[in-house]
Amino acid sequence: MKGLFDAKKRGLEASVTAAVKGDLPPVNEDELFVVADYDAAAAEKTGYSNYSYWRSTLNAFLHNRAAVTMLIVLALLLSFTIIQPFLPGQYGANTINNNPITGIQLQNQSPSLTTVYATVPDGTQLIGQRLDENWYAVSNVLTTIKAREKITVVEYGETWCRIEYGVLTGYVKNNFQTKLKLPDDPTATPYESRSSFPLALYQEPEDYTNAGEALYARAESIAEGENGAVTTLGETQLRTIPSDKAFLFGTNNIGQDLWARVWSGTRTSLWIGFVVGLFEALIGIMIGIIWGYVRALDRIITEIYNVLDNIPNTIILILISYIMRPGIGTLIFAMSLTRWLGMARFIRNQIVIIRDRDYNLASRCLGTSTGRIMMRNLLPYLVSVIMLRMALAIPGAIGSEVFITYIGLGLSVDTPSLGNLINEGRKLITSASLRYQLIFPAIVLSIITISFYIIGNAFADAADPKNHL
Amino acid sequence: MVKYVLKRLASSVVTLAIVITIVFVLLRQMPIEGYFDNFEKLNEAQINAKLANLGLTQPIPVQLKNFFANLLRGDLGTSSRYSAGTSIASIIAQKAPLSACMGLMSMAISLAMGIPLGAAMARSKSGFWDKFGTVFIVFINAVPAAVYYIFIQMYGTSWMGISMLFDRNNYVTWILPVFSMSLGSTASYAMWIRRYMLDEMNKDYVRLARAKGVSSQQIMMRHVFRNAFVPMIQYIPASILYTISGSIYIESLYSVPGMGGLLVDVIGRQDNPMVQALVMIYSAIGIIGLLLGDLLMGVTDPRISFVKKEGAR
Repeated sequence: MKGLFDAKKRGLEASVTAAVKGDLPPVNEDELFVVADYDAAAAEKTGYSNYSYWRSTLNAFLHNRAAVTMLIVLALLLSFTIIQPFLPGQYGANTINNNPITGIQLQNQSPSLTTVYATVPDGTQLIGQRLDENWYAVSNVLTTIKAREKITVVEYGETWCRIEYGVLTGYVKNNFQTKLKLPDDPTATPYESRSSFPLALYQEPEDYTNAGEALYARAESIAEGENGAVTTLGETQLRTIPSDKAFLFGTNNIGQDLWARVWSGTRTSLWIGFVVGLFEALIGIMIGIIWGYVRALDRIITEIYNVLDNIPNTIILILISYIMRPGIGTLIFAMSLTRWLGMARFIRNQIVIIRDRDYNLASRCLGTSTGRIMMRNLLPYLVSVIMLRMALAIPGAIGSEVFITYIGLGLSVDTPSLGNLINEGRKLITSASLRYQLIFPAIVLSIITISFYIIGNAFADAADPKNHL
Repeated sequence: MVKYVLKRLASSVVTLAIVITIVFVLLRQMPIEGYFDNFEKLNEAQINAKLANLGLTQPIPVQLKNFFANLLRGDLGTSSRYSAGTSIASIIAQKAPLSACMGLMSMAISLAMGIPLGAAMARSKSGFWDKFGTVFIVFINAVPAAVYYIFIQMYGTSWMGISMLFDRNNYVTWILPVFSMSLGSTASYAMWIRRYMLDEMNKDYVRLARAKGVSSQQIMMRHVFRNAFVPMIQYIPASILYTISGSIYIESLYSVPGMGGLLVDVIGRQDNPMVQALVMIYSAIGIIGLLLGDLLMGVTDPRISFVKKEGAR
């Protein structure tokens, strides 16, 4: 470093000495005043820099790891909602699933990853009934003993008792639900007993039922015997429903698959959010800029805003759903009709703040057209706030759909949306075992909102050129 | 300036009249089934009698003229279906103070918590406060209000050992509703203050002030915060005035006898006089709020002017 400095110093000294001594080559004065030709390459040298605003913004954005992660999460979520119906083994979002034997809806089934209830070894004796070509309904309950019927306990156990009932021998459960009437020394068998409740008589001291209801096994692993007795061939999985397809998120109170409903609802809500958000941004920004910048229009637009803003959205929503067919399109229309107002007012306030700054004044003095000032002076200045606001517009639209559903004007439950799923789940919040019906849609909604918020904030930071270095 | 305010006020009256007229006409387009509890069971004569009784059979211009004539006499009319026969003024006088009281309290809390939080977030960029605040804001924005309100009510009331319902005279029962109400605006104040302060801190004048040796405390308070607060101040008057409209979720959760949900409720029941009265009150609030916001913005930032300047467009 020092050597370089010394060399430069020496060079400088030499040239100064030469100048003082008058050793410099003579300069023809006329040469100094020749008009320079246009040289494209030389012009590029000063005029061109490889700085591009959007590329730098993108670079700054990509440096934010959290935001990039959330962008990937959001992209995955989006693509999953689109491909979910085409995956194999999906229930319909509106299909009501019934128990094939009793015909009762499979209400409020808890979420589970699999339909397998128990796995039984080869040769297990069960009672079975053919359901269709693929499935058997099986259990190991021989019969149900009515309440207060006499039974004979032949062998006493803490959890299972071996009993005789008429000609049948089998096992009953010995717990607080059966409450067998027992003598002082229950191990001194045999003795007569009874229960105040109906008892299920099991073939073995194992419960191969789903809380009293039949389980299902594949037909190929069942060998049929006499009088409904069946034997398993090989290790057999007993399932809660005659299907491999589990209710991953459980079912709702009429037996619809919540997994399918949540993804279908996410699709609906994201669609609503995107369209309404887009309208909000486009119309809101356009009107907002004109409203804020053009003083002549300020009064008129302010009054129009006052009129539109003060007509209650509820009236508009009711009237639109009365005039048009209720559905997603109507809801999008009704929401787009009202939501841009907030954006316009927001942009207008921002514009009012900066419209008379000196640089705009200078532009006006130079005769820049209003349109150009709006597009070149005002908008770029606001990119960061507009981005944040737009990122919130989509979750905001979804949130207001939740609210619209809450006041009873949303989509019907035939069209699942995060709004009506959360609203349905909200009603069940007091019962802890059913809370999953609220939690799953709420989690999906939260992921969407968080992603948009973090991405929007990161993008707003990245859009400020001062953060580019 | 005074001239500008007077002009705006005068045009506000016109706007108000337009809003009411539009709402009045829209309400007359509502399905007539909505006016009856048992529409299917009634015959035509009964329906017509009821409609005539509600004054709906006259032509709309005549109805409108009667409405405005009564309004000029200061008569808001009586409720037709919500609480039939009661004067609307008395219904509102009973409900509004409670909602306004709760709303003002929650607004004071959210301003007192949100602004310092946002400022702390901006100052400690990627420090503790920024992380804490971001988590808080993300949580509040992500979880639907309807959901976390219920959880606060469920766990809050059992933890404090009080009843789930609101009791005007028991001040302990005010805490949870007011607190829940303030969370949303706390998050939004903090978020925007942070955003505006960060934008402001990157500006050249702040750099100059720092180079001059102004203490960072002073830069923050005198320069950055003041400039960052300008875009928010426009909303403050309207927010204060709108507190009387109450919160629909909170009031139905805690059974607060306030204004929240009243408008939605009366629209649903098609109680036209009530809807008109409420729309008029809320519109007046909104219009005055916007005007006050503009004026306040001009006071805090003298560079902003709504009066035509030389060379302005």
